[in-house]
Amino acid sequence: MFYRTSGQFKTTYESDQALFPIKQDMFLLVVILAIMYAIFPMFASEFTYKALLVPVLIYSLASLGLNILTGYAGQLSLGTAGFMGVGAYACYKITTIFPEMNIIIALFLSGFFSAAVGVAFGLPSLRIKGFYLAIATLASQFFLVWLFEKWAWLYNYNASGAIEVRTMDIFGLVVTGPTASPMVQYYFVLGIVSVVTFAMINVTRGRYGRTWKAVRDMDIAAELVGINLMRAKLSAFAVSSYIVGIAGALMVFFWKGAAEPNLFDIPMSFQIVFIAIIGGLGSVMGNFLGAILIVALPVVLGLLPELLGLTIGSATMEHVNVMVVGSLIIMFLIVEPHGLARFWALIREKLIIWPFPH
Amino acid sequence: MKHFANFSKVVAAGALAVAMSSAAMAADGLNFPNLTYRTGPFAGTGTPIMNGQRDYMLMLNERDGGIGGVPVDYIECETGYNTNKGVECYEKTKGDALVTQPWSTGITLQVMPRTNVDRIPILAPGYGFSPMSDGNTFAWAFNPPVSYWDGAYMILDYIAKGDMSSLKGKKIVLLHLDHPFGKEPIPLLQKLSEMHGFELVPVPVGLKEMQNQSAQWLQIRRERPDNVVMWGWGAMNAGAITEAVKTRYPIENFIGIWWSGSDADLQNVGAKAKGYKSISFNVPGNYPVMDDIRKHVVSKGKSHVKSDADLDTVFYQRGIILSLYLAEAAKTAQEHFGVKNINPEQLRWGLENLNITEARLEELGMKGMTPPLQMGCDNHTGHAGAWMLEWNGEEFVRVSDMLKPDRELIKPLELEKAAEYAKNNAPWPGRGDLACN
Repeated sequence: MFYRTSGQFKTTYESDQALFPIKQDMFLLVVILAIMYAIFPMFASEFTYKALLVPVLIYSLASLGLNILTGYAGQLSLGTAGFMGVGAYACYKITTIFPEMNIIIALFLSGFFSAAVGVAFGLPSLRIKGFYLAIATLASQFFLVWLFEKWAWLYNYNASGAIEVRTMDIFGLVVTGPTASPMVQYYFVLGIVSVVTFAMINVTRGRYGRTWKAVRDMDIAAELVGINLMRAKLSAFAVSSYIVGIAGALMVFFWKGAAEPNLFDIPMSFQIVFIAIIGGLGSVMGNFLGAILIVALPVVLGLLPELLGLTIGSATMEHVNVMVVGSLIIMFLIVEPHGLARFWALIREKLIIWPFPH
Repeated sequence: MKHFANFSKVVAAGALAVAMSSAAMAADGLNFPNLTYRTGPFAGTGTPIMNGQRDYMLMLNERDGGIGGVPVDYIECETGYNTNKGVECYEKTKGDALVTQPWSTGITLQVMPRTNVDRIPILAPGYGFSPMSDGNTFAWAFNPPVSYWDGAYMILDYIAKGDMSSLKGKKIVLLHLDHPFGKEPIPLLQKLSEMHGFELVPVPVGLKEMQNQSAQWLQIRRERPDNVVMWGWGAMNAGAITEAVKTRYPIENFIGIWWSGSDADLQNVGAKAKGYKSISFNVPGNYPVMDDIRKHVVSKGKSHVKSDADLDTVFYQRGIILSLYLAEAAKTAQEHFGVKNINPEQLRWGLENLNITEARLEELGMKGMTPPLQMGCDNHTGHAGAWMLEWNGEEFVRVSDMLKPDRELIKPLELEKAAEYAKNNAPWPGRGDLACN
């Protein structure tokens, strides 16, 4: 009923291959974007921006980057947080060496550094795959965090050993540093995430996306039909690390404001892998669903007892939180092993044929 | 392609509603939030301190009806030492908060710039970073009663028995956590090693190697240092002490910073670690204030402590001292401004003008428990001094007179690093419009 597709005839190949073959999808997206761009900023408090909206967007972006590599190109990676760190440190160095540079340009430039590092660590993928590749990327994770700690030039020989974000503006509007309004930072992050997501939807639908999927499904077959494996794999590493690097820079510059090297350690890599798997590998929207479950849900759960007027110790609540989120993850994976994106796809399918069963 | 967000929006809208309604919870007392870590990898060391902090505030509520007649609204927000949670907790608690206690160097670094804008004092007692002492740069930040550089100086002073020139030709290993916290004393120790001609060998312990330090202790055995100084935290302390016992390092030459002196870390090795030392700005013991806490909090079942023996530990009693600073600052502010319900800016003044005299300590039943402390506009640390504690196989006992840092030597370094911080975070507000007294 809500998803009635009757009457929407496809008369050309273009219309059949359009981004939204069904009108309702387009309509939904418009509603969602309106909520994100207009409705939320009208109501959200500073806490909502800083603890819910911005982190979800940044984690979604990082997971999108990982999904390009793991979900689309089939290359396992456990080094995501390390590549995020490369993006963050590159952005930090760029903005301190060229203080006049616009932060948007610095942000997109820093992605190239993480892309280069990603390609370098992607080289082993030409010879090894599966779990073996995962171990190779794990090595990059250890190496990069070690580098962030030991190479004092990276943090400008700062006594604290951490990178700190100074105040920067775009045409007079303060976007980073303590005086930046959380709403401005939210819009900034939202804008970048929207642009990158839109670009990636199209990349994954296009020639590169199809090459990656072919490699993922069977690399020997892909090679036989004439796909250059080296180019396919390395381009996946480059694109993936580029996005992940931007996510890392956004995290430090537009959310946290300071970062120690061990922020980019393995726990965050795993967190992003969880988001990608629970959201759904090989899907763009899954990253957002996964991030909401892994990043936002614990925050909301933490607020519940106060809201219900219960007095539960903060530490007890933290334990309960871990248990609830953990069991939800297991439940979702049992109910739908292909992730939340597939879950939504099934619901949508059912809605289209509703009220008639198969 | 993006219909997914339909779902997400429902969830997020719910989240939004929850988040906003939580802000409506108003407090009617003195709102002192604490960003605790009773969970996670450092819970073992965090929990006793948090218990001490909490119990002192509860005791004030029970015994005196709060501070100056206003009850303390003591709130805990759990971070598990995770910096992401730290941002969340800071944003969640800052609404009515008079102060923020971030409890981790990482969270402190993230939160400190924001506190200037939100105008909330940040209290990082015994941690934070040493340059915070410069109140003209860090107007809203306080780290009483001594900084890490003070600690490094006092440890060396103890080793040298008051005569630094006797360190000439000695070899001192700094066994430290490879993390901003652990690297903190290095600039000062390097300066001292150049001045007094001893050899400094930093031996870093990575966050992942905390529990297995065999490589580090092999190196220490090869180096044969005269002393090992430890800047450790969490699981690293117990790991190091166990290794020191195992490699038969003369344990009496092994000295830790105040965060490396938890009873729990030593209880496993017990008598074998007899002689291990840790510098501390509180001496555990039976003070009158402890009786009040037993009477008003513990016996009423309001405390989180598991057994009465926990009340005698160094870390629990240190928690009490940390809450003492906050309570006394609030009292100072109430008296100066003549209002009972002070605001964050007035509490900031109270912290800056905090003066806990020997007489006041006696009045509070805490004589000899902690050094008297006086802060000032250019002194947000107080630099009160500390004692050396020694593990006698069962508990920590005091083995030195009060040690004092050499301010003449340390202060220029603090000013230099504070200026550097302000430059890196430009435009840094500094003291701004805040009057000095």
